[in-house]
Amino acid sequence: MSDNTSGLVLAGVGGQGVVMASMIVADALVRAGHDVKQSEVHGMAQRGGSVFSHIRWGPQVDSPLVPVGTASVLASFEWAEAIRWVPYVRVGGVVIADVRTIVPPGACADRRSWTTRYPEIDPSLLLDRRLKARLIDAAATATALGNVRAANSVILGSVAAFVDVEQSHWEASIERLVPRGTVDVNLAAFRAGLEVAEAPTPAPAPEHRGFSGPHQIDIRQEWCKGCDICSRVCPEYCLEVGSDASLNVSNPDACTGCRLCELLCPDFAISISAPRQTAHVGAFNEPGEIEDESD
Amino acid sequence: MTDVKSYLREWAMPHVLCPGCAHGIVLRSFLVAVDDLQLDQNKVALVAGIGCSSRLVGYADFCTLHGTHGRAPAFATGLKLARPELSVVVVTGDGDGLAIGGNHLIHAARRNIDITVILLNNSIYGMTGGQVAPTTPPGAFASTAPGGNTEASFDACKLLIGAGASFVARVLAATPIEMTKLMADGMSHRGFSFIEVISDCPEYFGRYNKAGGGAAMLTGLTLRDEGVAVPLASKRFVNHVPSSAPPPGITTGVLHREDRPVFVGVRKAVDDES
Repeated sequence: MSDNTSGLVLAGVGGQGVVMASMIVADALVRAGHDVKQSEVHGMAQRGGSVFSHIRWGPQVDSPLVPVGTASVLASFEWAEAIRWVPYVRVGGVVIADVRTIVPPGACADRRSWTTRYPEIDPSLLLDRRLKARLIDAAATATALGNVRAANSVILGSVAAFVDVEQSHWEASIERLVPRGTVDVNLAAFRAGLEVAEAPTPAPAPEHRGFSGPHQIDIRQEWCKGCDICSRVCPEYCLEVGSDASLNVSNPDACTGCRLCELLCPDFAISISAPRQTAHVGAFNEPGEIEDESD
Repeated sequence: MTDVKSYLREWAMPHVLCPGCAHGIVLRSFLVAVDDLQLDQNKVALVAGIGCSSRLVGYADFCTLHGTHGRAPAFATGLKLARPELSVVVVTGDGDGLAIGGNHLIHAARRNIDITVILLNNSIYGMTGGQVAPTTPPGAFASTAPGGNTEASFDACKLLIGAGASFVARVLAATPIEMTKLMADGMSHRGFSFIEVISDCPEYFGRYNKAGGGAAMLTGLTLRDEGVAVPLASKRFVNHVPSSAPPPGITTGVLHREDRPVFVGVRKAVDDES
């Protein structure tokens, strides 16, 4: 930015707590004596849509919006949102990305092959752009501290490592704004986040979530009595009872693995097993590849 | 989770129950509950009397006892007193447990012996040809009630609460996840646990009352489900069948739970006092 303000972009998915996190950041910056403007946009928040918040601070801020290519820090609570907002980061800026994946229904490209357009967790998507990247498994860190819901404080801790505000201001803001009773765990998570950012630890491979391919439907014909319960309860119309009372899988690719048929089969004739093909959410690269490229 | 088939006597399958009979769903949910509780297969004893429901114990690979009609609670009481380390579960039906064995059931509840009774209520005598049972709703048709049942029917859960059971729950066979949860809760409860499972009988009750097959009967049940305020894992039916005005609701969930002294037998009580 040509003036002497700095910008921060927080991004995530509806319900993750992006707005709360940005309130804490803004509050901490105010405590540090900055002029702060903050602006948030809720997408289809309740439907898992994108939610982001811009924060700008400095001696004097005129507009709350962070122009493209000027943010010094981007913190994302979800992997795809990090990729989406990377263009806002300046050269040499910092991207803090949670490796949590939330696959939106709209990213399902093809229900037959179960391909999704969800980006792979690949640090090179960030590192090619001359950025400092921190990939953090905040949920795992928070879970280790006793409450997975403190994950956002881990991210905030990592943000604090790159924003020139005293730690006491951050902690005062967290104490003021998080729900009563969760202050201690959030402060612990915040400090853990600071450590993670300062000495990047290898992040574990995240659990694959979201669409994961059609499940295997195995029918034990010699036990099936053709009672029709399974085909009537299947939400995806995968099963069909023929005129000879034999059970057929008429639409195997549509099985989502809900297991209603298996649970409601009185004859133990149906088994649903996990898909043989892996999800397209992508494998996590070796943590060693996460390196600072420009300092 | 282990494959529940490992708890089945596979050589005995497929079971004798009619197509669409939900008793098999109850057996499956029970096996999942045993798996969830991580019970030793050799430390679980299933006791049954006579009837469609009681046939289930023959397919479960635990210690099993197929006793005389209605006397399963009596056998179970003796078994629990002699071998207190076993988890004793009675599988019974509405006719077996409430008519022929009504006395044995209420007195086991009165003593509060630490056993679990799973009563499968299909509102009719299925095995013997669709006669009126004490749970047949007034007005329903049966082979011995061609003009409709003129008697009032039992509310098994109220009966057992009155008799002194310290854990009483009701659940639908159409909601297997809730059923597993309640069965696990009941087996973990110290004292007499009673779980009434509302099952179906498409072959007799369904046919006489034009209630459709198993799928339609189970779907119809879920429309009447009125859970009490207990947090339960909930995975509801997806209802493909539109229904007309449903009959009165069925209250499901844990209806009663208390802690009271458990019957451990005279000898043990005397030993404890001395």
